[in-house]
Amino acid sequence: MRNSPNEILHVEDLTVEFPTDDGVVHAVRGVSYTLHEGEVLGIVGESGSGKSVTSLAVMGLLPRGARVRGKIVYRGEDVLKLSARRRRALRGGKIGMIFQDPMTALNPVHTIGDQLAEAVLAHGLVPYKQALARAKEMLDLVGIPQAEARLRSYPHEFSGGMRQRAMIAMAVINSPDVIIADEPTTALDVTVQAQILEKLLEVKDAVNAAIVLITHDLGVVAGTAHRVLVMYAGKPVEIGDTDTVFYRPRMPYTAGLLGSMPSLETSGGRLRPIGGAPPSLINLPSGCPFSPRCPLADDTCTAEEPGLAEAGEGGHLAACHHWREVAAAPDPTALFRTESEAV
Amino acid sequence: MTISAPASGAAQGMTVVARTQGQMVRRRFFRHRAALVGMLAFGGVVLLAFTSIGIGPIPGWWDKSYLTTGSLVNQGRPTLSVVPQFLGGEGIRFGEHPFGQDNIGIDYFALTMRGAQQSITVAFIVAIVATTVGTLAGAFAGYFRKLTESVIMRLTDVMITIPILIIAAIVGRTFGDSGIVILAVCIGLVTWPTLGRLVRGEFLSLREKEFVEAARAVGSSAGRIIFRHVLPNTIGVIIVSATLAVANAVLLESALSFLGVGVQPPDVSLGQLIDTYRSAMTTRPWLFWWPGVFIIAIALSINFIGDGLRDAFDPRQTRVRA
Amino acid sequence: MIAFIARRLVTSFFVLLAATMVIFGLTSIAGDPLADLRELPGPDRERRMADRIERMNLDSPVWVRYLSWLGNLFRGSLGVNRDGQDVGVLLREALSATLQLVVAATVLAVVIGVIVGIISALRQYSTFDYGVTLAAFVCFSLPLFWVAVMLKQYIAIEFNDWLRDPVIPPLIIGVLAVAAGLIWAAIAIGDRRTKLTAFGAGAAVTVVTLTLLSATRWFADPGIGVVGLAVLAGGTAIGLTVLISGLQYRGPLYAALAAAGIGVLLSEILDPVLADPSWTEMFGLALVTAAVCAGLGYGLGGLLRRQAITGAVATGLVTGGLIFLDRMLQSFAAYSDRVRGRPISTIGSRTPNFTGDFWETNLDAAGHLLLPTMALILISLATYTRYSRSSMLEVMNLDYVRTARAKGLPERTVITKHAFRNGMIPITTLMAVDFASVIGGAIVTENVFGWQGMGNLFIEGLQQVDPAPVMAFFIVSGTAIVVFNMLADIVYAYLDPRIRLS
Ligand SMILES: Nc1ncnc2c1ncn2[C@@H]1O[C@H](COP(=O)(O)OP(=O)(O)O)[C@@H](O)[C@H]1O
Ligand code: SF4
Ligand SMILES: [Mg+2]
Repeated sequence: MRNSPNEILHVEDLTVEFPTDDGVVHAVRGVSYTLHEGEVLGIVGESGSGKSVTSLAVMGLLPRGARVRGKIVYRGEDVLKLSARRRRALRGGKIGMIFQDPMTALNPVHTIGDQLAEAVLAHGLVPYKQALARAKEMLDLVGIPQAEARLRSYPHEFSGGMRQRAMIAMAVINSPDVIIADEPTTALDVTVQAQILEKLLEVKDAVNAAIVLITHDLGVVAGTAHRVLVMYAGKPVEIGDTDTVFYRPRMPYTAGLLGSMPSLETSGGRLRPIGGAPPSLINLPSGCPFSPRCPLADDTCTAEEPGLAEAGEGGHLAACHHWREVAAAPDPTALFRTESEAV
Repeated sequence: MTISAPASGAAQGMTVVARTQGQMVRRRFFRHRAALVGMLAFGGVVLLAFTSIGIGPIPGWWDKSYLTTGSLVNQGRPTLSVVPQFLGGEGIRFGEHPFGQDNIGIDYFALTMRGAQQSITVAFIVAIVATTVGTLAGAFAGYFRKLTESVIMRLTDVMITIPILIIAAIVGRTFGDSGIVILAVCIGLVTWPTLGRLVRGEFLSLREKEFVEAARAVGSSAGRIIFRHVLPNTIGVIIVSATLAVANAVLLESALSFLGVGVQPPDVSLGQLIDTYRSAMTTRPWLFWWPGVFIIAIALSINFIGDGLRDAFDPRQTRVRA
Repeated sequence: MIAFIARRLVTSFFVLLAATMVIFGLTSIAGDPLADLRELPGPDRERRMADRIERMNLDSPVWVRYLSWLGNLFRGSLGVNRDGQDVGVLLREALSATLQLVVAATVLAVVIGVIVGIISALRQYSTFDYGVTLAAFVCFSLPLFWVAVMLKQYIAIEFNDWLRDPVIPPLIIGVLAVAAGLIWAAIAIGDRRTKLTAFGAGAAVTVVTLTLLSATRWFADPGIGVVGLAVLAGGTAIGLTVLISGLQYRGPLYAALAAAGIGVLLSEILDPVLADPSWTEMFGLALVTAAVCAGLGYGLGGLLRRQAITGAVATGLVTGGLIFLDRMLQSFAAYSDRVRGRPISTIGSRTPNFTGDFWETNLDAAGHLLLPTMALILISLATYTRYSRSSMLEVMNLDYVRTARAKGLPERTVITKHAFRNGMIPITTLMAVDFASVIGGAIVTENVFGWQGMGNLFIEGLQQVDPAPVMAFFIVSGTAIVVFNMLADIVYAYLDPRIRLS
């Protein structure tokens, strides 16, 4: 891997497993990515593909039984080797996180102001008043009107959009280097999704942080991310600059995701959903995990799991035996049948 | 015809779901070790109680009766021994009077078995009555709302203000002489409110669900919606509560009988045995021990079964081993 | 809030009224109120039967009797029992004993149950957790009366006998040490070495403590002493500070230690005040303690003023409790002599005709309360343990707890501020339900231990088909349950800002 000077976070070969009564869940299998200062990295994949688990692993928030392997390097230090105290200092101090569902992510019994202020106090002893003042500043920043009064509100007095703004304020209150936003707009009304996304990017610039933007919706990353990482069944299957991945996908799954997006011209105006469901993470199929759903699958695919390999310029990597065929297709999304054809 | 088609289609869809869910529940239950042990233990106690002295006219394999007095052997001490000879004990044997005899020479094993029979019977009747009434009341209150709900809920309010033991004691005093079946039915009739509230809660959240709306839209009758669509979805809650109700009823009956307001002589129950022989505690402690051990064995094994069922029906936590 | 209370009181009033109808009706038809007299030989049988029929109004229908009882009630009289005794007087004597029992059992069950449940949840799937779960199931399945008789028969008598010569045999010390070691090891988390160390430490501490207590014959004349007091109070100060604010910052720690220190010093200086105080004085002292400690927290707390005040007040009150306990223990030897060496009592709620100073009367009450409370508490204890465990587990998996961790809060704050507070919300509802079953349990317990309490009033009344005492019992217990329910709702609303009382 390249080791550029402005690199902040580097995840290498991250593996997460959950031993359960039903067997071992292989939730994340060898994810690597690098985040540079000020960069927006999109992580995309269907739900259940391991996006959240990857970010929780970075934050150190996985449940106790989880087995984590690999490297998570923050500014040259392997986070997994740090003491519990140093790790805690990173959480919320240097790396802030925004969760998917603002309705449940805030504690119902404490005021918004208190929940923001305690984030300040967790990383340095200042008078409570000062922490509250900082909280008000942040609420102003994320565009909550009458911030002073709103400090005394409880979460249930906020709308979903306002709560997510408060969550953004909480994540950046200690001016972190990295913000991990796990599907920050998925649970919101369509009408406020764009506002929140815009606010998030604005705040990111204000505190000068980089973002890992997680979503299952390619539309969200299209206009925002510099680079995109596509995940499937716990594995990274394609990574590259956003435009490259969008216009020259090299992995059938990415093409399928693009085809199932409503508003993209490439799909020819018709939806081409990916048939079938993601595989069980306890009993993975042999070979390429996408093979049961892939229109290009053949014996090679079921025999051997493809690794991430160079599939274009500018560090464009894809995990597919047949990426050249995908590249050769005039419209890769046409590999999948449209809904009317499927019936 | 066109209207009933989607409805029966939905019903078929539901049975398929129900079966697979049933299989999952069974699998989870049989993986719950404590519940399995509980089931075996409870089965053992029931078998022992009902086969040993027989039921009614059917004789059992134990040759002594709980009604006939006899001469005292060894001051009525128990002859049961479970320590093998090679460990320095007296060997494993049942003996003449395994649980000993009471002061007038009645075989205490037979008496305890009779008590266990009666206590188990009472507990099951109480649980069945309370569950049926509670389920119906909860279902009607939760489904019809308005007046039905107010009436039923005010009724449960009144009942819940009275501690269960109090109302059961009063009922027990009134109906204790009429035999255990009537006693049990009456206790069941006053102990349903807790379950009723639980079922109502489930109904309240389920009645707004799409499948209920759908059934209503195709014109299903209220009874059909309640019994065919909603009730099957609350079956987990009901089964678990019913199981725990059996355990609680065993304890309740024995407490009532101990206080003298439950099963009345000449009928015997485990709690009543303890009451009868409580003054003999210092001289013949075994008269006190055996019924107690059986009450605990019954209640504990049923509680474990209930816990297994709860885990089986409520798969919310996929367990991560630490 | 006031509107809420008023409305609740009105509804509760009608609910209670309906309940009295049910109970009065059922009790009146529960049997033959003249049964005992019918057996009577001799000439005055007829006369006494006529007397009772007249007194209990047995010639009129039940509803008339009910209305007349109700009329009396509104005039402030609970009526007379079948022998013509004023039920109000009987109740007054019965009330305080039962109240002590029920309150002691409820408070202990809540405090111990919640603590054990939380530890169990925080150590999910540990040996400790499994042990607690098993114990809870056993407690759920124990017949209360059976346990009570066992305690009375074995614990009380054996313990009193042992107190004559309180030497702990080495074998018992060994067994207790192993048990303590196992519990320590079960709570500790870590690899085998940590567990072994915990086992060793637990066992060693137990052996040393018990051997010392045995060798000095401490149980014959117990007491904590200044040194013990200082150690325990200091430990409390540190422990509470760890829980409330952590040891990272000095302010709260100094405040708590100061509270403990002042407490220990005062216990020596205040000797005369504590010679024979009254409950009012004790309550006043507690208030003064709280005020002084709040001041300490305010002064020494620095930036963590709020936590420092909480910690100091809690430490001060615990230290006060320890001093109280020490005083009680100091009176133990004298008290034990006065009751002929049988301080753990199995009959009644106090020693008949016993008079003594504040400490001795309290010891007497405690000695009588000990076993009934132990028996009564078991089921509630199990209930609170199970509920707080599952409530905590549920809350610990919620999103906002993850958010709290994501902010970088220390685990202590995550648990005490975010998980605990929310986890306790459903427990308030449980308290209301459980209180009713404790009252039911009190009837059984009083029966076993021969208390002349309310349970006795009820059962005797019921046996004799005499509604007045039964109704008196219900008026008190029903009101208590209603009030307790309302308190639980108020606490619920206080804990959960989403609920508005209106
Ligand atoms: N604590 C856990 N125990 C067992 N399996 C888990 C746990 N957390 C997540 N998983 C599994 O890991 C997989 C990936 O989940 P996740 O990262 O949340 O997906 P997503 O990409 O939608 O964010 C899912 O199949 C999920 O069931
Ligand atoms: S490796 Fe084969 S199955 Fe997998 S994505 Fe490529 S073509 Fe499809
Ligand atoms: Mg996710």
